[in-house]
Amino acid sequence: MIPRPLKTQYFQILLALSRRDLHGYAIQRAVLDQTDDQLKLWPAMLYRSLAKLEEADLIAETEAPKDEPDDERRQYYRLTEAGRGRLRDEAEMLARWVRAVGEAEA
Amino acid sequence: MDRLLRRYRWLLRLFPADFRARHGRGMEQTFVEMVRTRRGRPGLRFWLALAWDTLRHAGAEWIDEWTTGGRPDAARTRGEAMAVLWGDVRYALRQLVRQPVYAMTVVVLMAVGVAGNAAVFRVVNGLFLRPLPFEEPDQLVDLDETAPQWDLEFLSIAYRDFDVWRADNSTFESMAVLDQGGGNALIDGAPVRLSYLQATHDLDDVLRIDPELGRFFGAEEDHPDGDRVALLAKGSWEQHFGADPDVLGRTLSLNGFAIEIIGVLPEEADFLADVDLWLPMRADPADFEGWGLSGIGRLAEGVSIEQAREDLIAVHKARIPEWEVNEISSPVVHSLRERYLGDYRLGSGFLLVAVAAVLLIACANIAALMFARGLSRTPELSLRSALGASRRRLARQLITESLVLAVSGAGVGLAIGVWGSDMLIRPLADQFPRWVSFELDARFLAFVAGVTVLAAMLFGLLPAVRASGRRSAFSGSRATASSARRRAMGGLVTGEVALATTLLVVGGLSALDVRQLGRVDPGFRADGLLSFSLSLPSQRYEDGAARLAFAERYQEALERIPGVRSAAVASSVPLGGHWGWFFLVDGAPARAEEEGNPVVLNRIVDPAYFNAVGVDFVAGRPFDDFDGREDGSRAIVVNETFVRTHLAHLDDPIGARLAAGTELGPDPEWMTVVGVTRDVKHYGLDREMRPGVYQPLRQLPLASFRVALALDGDPAAVVPAVRATTAELDRELPVFAVNRMSEQLDDALLTRRAISWLIVAFSTVALILAVAGIYGVISYSVGQRTKEIGIRLAMGARTEDVLGQVVRQGMTLVALGSAMGLVAAVAGAGIISGILVGVEARDPRVYVAVTLLLGTVAAVANYLPARRAARLDPAGVLRRE
Repeated sequence: MIPRPLKTQYFQILLALSRRDLHGYAIQRAVLDQTDDQLKLWPAMLYRSLAKLEEADLIAETEAPKDEPDDERRQYYRLTEAGRGRLRDEAEMLARWVRAVGEAEA
Repeated sequence: MDRLLRRYRWLLRLFPADFRARHGRGMEQTFVEMVRTRRGRPGLRFWLALAWDTLRHAGAEWIDEWTTGGRPDAARTRGEAMAVLWGDVRYALRQLVRQPVYAMTVVVLMAVGVAGNAAVFRVVNGLFLRPLPFEEPDQLVDLDETAPQWDLEFLSIAYRDFDVWRADNSTFESMAVLDQGGGNALIDGAPVRLSYLQATHDLDDVLRIDPELGRFFGAEEDHPDGDRVALLAKGSWEQHFGADPDVLGRTLSLNGFAIEIIGVLPEEADFLADVDLWLPMRADPADFEGWGLSGIGRLAEGVSIEQAREDLIAVHKARIPEWEVNEISSPVVHSLRERYLGDYRLGSGFLLVAVAAVLLIACANIAALMFARGLSRTPELSLRSALGASRRRLARQLITESLVLAVSGAGVGLAIGVWGSDMLIRPLADQFPRWVSFELDARFLAFVAGVTVLAAMLFGLLPAVRASGRRSAFSGSRATASSARRRAMGGLVTGEVALATTLLVVGGLSALDVRQLGRVDPGFRADGLLSFSLSLPSQRYEDGAARLAFAERYQEALERIPGVRSAAVASSVPLGGHWGWFFLVDGAPARAEEEGNPVVLNRIVDPAYFNAVGVDFVAGRPFDDFDGREDGSRAIVVNETFVRTHLAHLDDPIGARLAAGTELGPDPEWMTVVGVTRDVKHYGLDREMRPGVYQPLRQLPLASFRVALALDGDPAAVVPAVRATTAELDRELPVFAVNRMSEQLDDALLTRRAISWLIVAFSTVALILAVAGIYGVISYSVGQRTKEIGIRLAMGARTEDVLGQVVRQGMTLVALGSAMGLVAAVAGAGIISGILVGVEARDPRVYVAVTLLLGTVAAVANYLPARRAARLDPAGVLRRE
């Protein structure tokens, strides 16, 4: 079990994979884009996170998508159903928090 | 790309094998694509980030493995994991208590290794790693001027130059110049000597400090007609004014001037200079009074030191049309740390290497010990393995044992290291700027913890890997296992001897160097020489005649004190600072441009000076009572180096005529050389000589001077009498900065001695550890071969043959190791020579001595176990087997 709330890097990886299946370096790029270059997942951090997420069955290794050049050195990952559910829960929780801050300031 | 990837693969080895097998390729691929899409080759910053990333997560992965046993299905809770860990620790402790000699040996070895590292790192941390105690310290830089043509690396700053730099630069946020001095003050009727810092009004911006009370002085006070104001340092506010909150607006008298107190500085201000008062500079850029100021600047954001230097040089050189001398002088910019601590960098580096080597040798010994013990534990481990303990579980057990030992040893070592560094720092504290602090901090603790874990891994992992590799207790032959182990141990001994040899060479060279320095002739008599400062206020001693009259009366009064053999007055005594002048020689050939014009050390002395300080003459005579009198002739005495640099074209320097300055005026005031003295090591025994001259006090009557006393008796008894005598002549004159010359000479070499002493100490420890290692390994190897030796003896081998064979085997390792060590020392001679002054880094005496010493001690360490082997009773041995 991965405790909630999700660590930032886990959340960002799930978010990146929710759009399409990606390989390691592409995940790094996607997370950089999503966070306005705030979060750079260096290789060891990236793969340890992937290992944890995979262990918790939130993501799984998968084939390369058909529209990408086949490079066997690349490992692709996809979001599992559990992962999609977890991402949704997490996003709702964040949204509730954001609303709470908005109400407090109002 | 392949090379980069190989480098990264090497880093990835830090991960546990399982994780590497699963994700290694993914990480490599990500790395490859990161590098490929980068612009340009990855730099140091990239590699550091990468190394940190790998280190951090590999460590976390190991901890995960450790606590879960590496099995993802064994999803243990943290509590369960801790229970297992605690069980391992208890088991380890039981094991160790059962073998107290072994445990104590490892703890002592570890303590020795860690103590040195802790002590040296504490010093290095304080000097080079801890941030300076000012806001945004990285922006602060030291400013100065340099004049290679005058043979001056640091010329110090002229106010008019600073004024231009400040106005025209585009790379600094702010800059200030400062000077330190002292003045006679009257507080509650008693004369007090107050030290002060004179600074331009920008200094508070540069340092970003705010006064604790009142305000800082502004531009309106920092010019020649400005109001006389001062800020009190926190310490002097408390000491002299009882921390009175109403001190603002009060006045104090300094050198006869009334000065208004406008503020009290915070304690941080002391970091820059430990003085009583801060005063505005009040200088006029139109008056060129030569150089003499220190400078400090705060770079604008994003500006590098190099950019700042180029900017200042452009500004400075733009004034050459007005001030020709700017052709010779150039501004220089250094980081504060480099300027004040750069000299210690190399010595500290050597010490770090030395302690690291000691730790490595200690680890090698521990590893050898563990190898040996691994064999005796084979039955135990085999039993546990047969009962179902996994390889991982056994390896973990062994690593836990290593860690328990390492941590215990490191604890002892840490305590010794802190205590030892206290001993080291206390006498050296005065040598460093005030902002250096040696307090223990998180970085220090992290370093010690890191060293401990690293050491534990070094000596613990090897046996653990071997243990976990042994699948079954019954596979493999014991004989090959033990010979492989013996080879590994032989390798450890060779490495130890090599490290110890190199260290001994460095230690020997630096010890020889320091000994030689201690024997350098200072050129004067330091024993029994006492000196102090005195400053005559200009209001009561208006002209030269008044000052001369005081000096004469004072000298006579001092010489009446019992125990004082002679007294003299001078501008400075040896080790008393530099005062540079230039001189022209009458009729000398013009100097070539590239020849330069080395600056000359100028000293003003009374006729008694040479005798009192013990300066001998090579030719000519000291000053007499007519030299420098208005009706007499103008005279000058030069040193041997001056003769070499300025008078080499003359057969006889006596009678040569000199004039001060760089250009001959219409009516030069010629001085005639009347004597040549031997060189006096004015700047310290380890420093180079400069050309120097002495001029008679009569020619230039000083207001502030050093008094030199040649004593027969105890200086401690003389000082009160000196104060009383001074008060009899003028009760408002404080006597200050009292120094014993022999102590000063020693102090000047203190850091050098301390570094040398430490390297010698560490190399001795290294030698002892290496010899203990040889002894242990040979004993072990003999023990392993008891049966073989027994058979050989039974077959009729002679005792000498057995003895010879064992010793030969050991000495081969020693010879190999020391050869490697000597080669390393020769190869590193260029670096080693950086810490030496008078000794060649390849001085063969040291190399021979080290080889002999090591050879002798190692031979004894080899001989003892060999003799035991040769005395074996063959029948007994064979019966036992």
